[in-house]
Amino acid sequence: MADPALRLQALVKRFGAHAAVDGVDLAVALGEFVTLLGPSGCGKTTTLNLIAGFLAPDSGFIALNGRLVQDLPPFKRDLGMVFQDYALFPHMSVADNVAFGLKMRGVSREETATRVAEALSLVKLDGFDARRPNQLSGGQRQRVALARALVIRPAMLLLDEPLSNLDLKLREEMRGEISALQRRLGIATVFVTHDQDEALTMSDRIAVMSEGRIEQIGTPAEIYERPATRFVASFIGSINIVPAKVAEVPVNGFARLETPAGPAIAHVGSASSGRSVMLTIRPERLKLAEAGGAPAGAVAWSARVVRVVYTGARLEVQLRLADGSEAVAEATNDGRTSLGEGQGIVAWFRPEDAWIIAGA
Amino acid sequence: MRSGPWILLKLVVGVIYVFILGPILITAAVAFNESNRSYFPPRGFSLKWWGEAFAPQWVQPLMFSLELAALTAVVATAIGVPLAFAFQRYEFPGKTLVRTITLGPLILPTLVTGIALLQFLTVIGLGRWLGYWALLIGHVIICLPFSVRTIAISLQAMPGSVENAAAGLGAGPLAVLRYVTFPIIVPGIFAGMAFAFIHSFTDINMSLFIAKPGQRPVTVAIMSFLDFGFAPTLAALSILSLAIPLVLVALLGRFVGIGNFLYQEQGRG
Amino acid sequence: MIAAVQSRPIVPFLLVLLPAAFLLFFFVIPTAFLLSASFIESDGVIMTGVWTTQNYADLLSRPLYRQAILRTFLIGIAVGVIVIVLSYPLAYFLVRTTSPWRGFLIALSLSPLLASVIVRTYGWWVILNREGAVNTALLSIGIIDQPLTLLPSSMAITIGLSHALLPYGVLTIMASLNGLNPNIERAAMSLGAGRIRTFLTVTLPLTWPGIVGGFLLAFAIAISAYATPAILGGPGTQVMATLIRNFMVQALDWALGSAMGAILLVSSIALLLITSALGGRRVG
Repeated sequence: MADPALRLQALVKRFGAHAAVDGVDLAVALGEFVTLLGPSGCGKTTTLNLIAGFLAPDSGFIALNGRLVQDLPPFKRDLGMVFQDYALFPHMSVADNVAFGLKMRGVSREETATRVAEALSLVKLDGFDARRPNQLSGGQRQRVALARALVIRPAMLLLDEPLSNLDLKLREEMRGEISALQRRLGIATVFVTHDQDEALTMSDRIAVMSEGRIEQIGTPAEIYERPATRFVASFIGSINIVPAKVAEVPVNGFARLETPAGPAIAHVGSASSGRSVMLTIRPERLKLAEAGGAPAGAVAWSARVVRVVYTGARLEVQLRLADGSEAVAEATNDGRTSLGEGQGIVAWFRPEDAWIIAGA
Repeated sequence: MRSGPWILLKLVVGVIYVFILGPILITAAVAFNESNRSYFPPRGFSLKWWGEAFAPQWVQPLMFSLELAALTAVVATAIGVPLAFAFQRYEFPGKTLVRTITLGPLILPTLVTGIALLQFLTVIGLGRWLGYWALLIGHVIICLPFSVRTIAISLQAMPGSVENAAAGLGAGPLAVLRYVTFPIIVPGIFAGMAFAFIHSFTDINMSLFIAKPGQRPVTVAIMSFLDFGFAPTLAALSILSLAIPLVLVALLGRFVGIGNFLYQEQGRG
Repeated sequence: MIAAVQSRPIVPFLLVLLPAAFLLFFFVIPTAFLLSASFIESDGVIMTGVWTTQNYADLLSRPLYRQAILRTFLIGIAVGVIVIVLSYPLAYFLVRTTSPWRGFLIALSLSPLLASVIVRTYGWWVILNREGAVNTALLSIGIIDQPLTLLPSSMAITIGLSHALLPYGVLTIMASLNGLNPNIERAAMSLGAGRIRTFLTVTLPLTWPGIVGGFLLAFAIAISAYATPAILGGPGTQVMATLIRNFMVQALDWALGSAMGAILLVSSIALLLITSALGGRRVG
């Protein structure tokens, strides 16, 4: 089997007493798009800087295509990086910016010209050669940065929150474009972001980081629907978390639970043992019905409507459960729902839509 | 929106501008007097004092000042570039101390730095350095903060990721310095050089003590001539010596926005 | 590049070695030497090597010197106040104006920095001397029949120095006004404070550090200025700087010269410490 494009093993980086990266293991397959997702200070940018070689790890290994590189300086690693502030050279034209990496590699003048033109056309900036970075819009600078990183045909692409300085509309457009380009070139990519929408829509796999560690790594669907920890569950999307006790030994992957809101059955998830656990259920999987209207086999709890928030396509229904705790259900705005505040109701879900994680 | 108080403020500001520029314009006008008294408004009209200002008696110190200021600017920049790099890019023991000492001449009275140098050179038997060499040393000391700060500011203003980007694209440390760092800070280096030049050219408090006859800047020459009274020649000379830094700043303006760097300039008069 | 920093700690030392040695030998040691010389008995320029505080006692016991020190500090305070009073409205205008001439007006207000202080002072001599612009004007309209003696005087020195140091006040106060979030003023106005109330209750207090910094900067430069007091003053209006010049160059009494220099030096350092203690902008 071929070596992965990138392998990180037991990577540690300390700043003083604080471990910014605290034992990270990660493998990125050839052509794969992996996102490091987490709040600021979680170590995702430090990890990226370790991969790029701008920081030296205190311990651990970094291998690119099977070659150990942790002792190589950044200019010998052969990576294409796009920086958050783009880091275009302000004193060079667009063409010179893109040509810089080729110049460092001693590529001939003719080949440089051809490859720069190709790269600029790849990012739809034909004819911008002579412009200076300060004559470009944010989106155009972003494209130049991308062209500059790709033109050297790097072993892999590193993207450090490249979309965070763009306005919303442009950000969504660039999201699609970067994804398409990455897929077309088949280049292994590590993308750093704190934006969960970017992570979910662009990635083959997401590594959710917190306090210097990877909490969970998986496809967007796995991360969203099968969170391994409470942190992952609550960092991505909104979720209802109900404390619970395991009442019976799990059978067939499902466990019978006691919760303050009532008895329940749920997927065992990441907590296969232990009595104190957390039951998690996404608001869009929590359904509402008239008393006695829940389908057979579903877990049904009685609840009371506290408030209905209108968000356009959906209605966000805030509920109070039997024990007084709050929960949120999301209903499609089909135009036929009539929910009044204070109204008694049944909140129900299918056992396969609920997921158990380890207790706090 | 621009109401009563704002109009009043504009009036006050107008008066302050008259206060700022008046004396300089009056000095220029006085140089056109017919007689050798500094009348204002000038009586009669003559260019003879301007011609007088080009007599060898004045051209010599003027040229001396130019040479001193140019050499000071070059030396202060040569010392200032490595210092600015060390302060901006590295952490090392004693950094705060070295930095405080480097910027110290900006805060301590130049006059005291001048007499300290006079006394020290005399006592250790280097009294023969007074004049040219002492002036060069003294001026480098008081101009160094200007070049260090200006270069440090341009290093600081450069996003650090630009150098990382170059390294990531395959440029080694020397290539980064040559193709990226240096070209970006060149305007700052020139600006620092210009500030050092101007500060040296306009200095009096340092030169006063360590110059000697035949090796003295034009400011000291004017100062010692003042004992014999004010003549329109001095007015002409003053304006001429104002023109030199003005031209320099105009040239500087072609490299960088002057305003940006003038903002940072906080030396002493 | 951080990686380079970690691997080569020798680099910064190579960078600062020569400059630091230069400054140590020609700036630090001479200044320290001056301070110690002020405590050593001398005969003219020859030091006898005996430790004493007599130099300071001499300075403080002679009324001429005492008055000069007092005059220096009084002029410094007056200059500081005038510089702030004049530069605040100017700086406020320059920061807030939307005029297309703004850049030019800023450059114009700072342009005196390009001129030697002699050029700046010369004009005041022309204006204030017995045959100068003020006397000519007053005589011709008949308010006075004898020219006034405006020079030499402490007032003339104060005016000349205030003029010369105005740009420093403008720079300092512009910096602190620029650091002010304009929305804070808008908030005050939206809460019902008029323009002037807003200025007095919000803008002025928030720019107080700039005012203190500008005052101390002008004060510090004023007390050590030589050219302006030498041109606009006379034997009756000696200040510390002109006395130091006399001691060092004419009377060749280096003991008194270093003691006076030391007083000036220590005052400046004290001012610097006060400035940072008051949280004002760092001077310099």
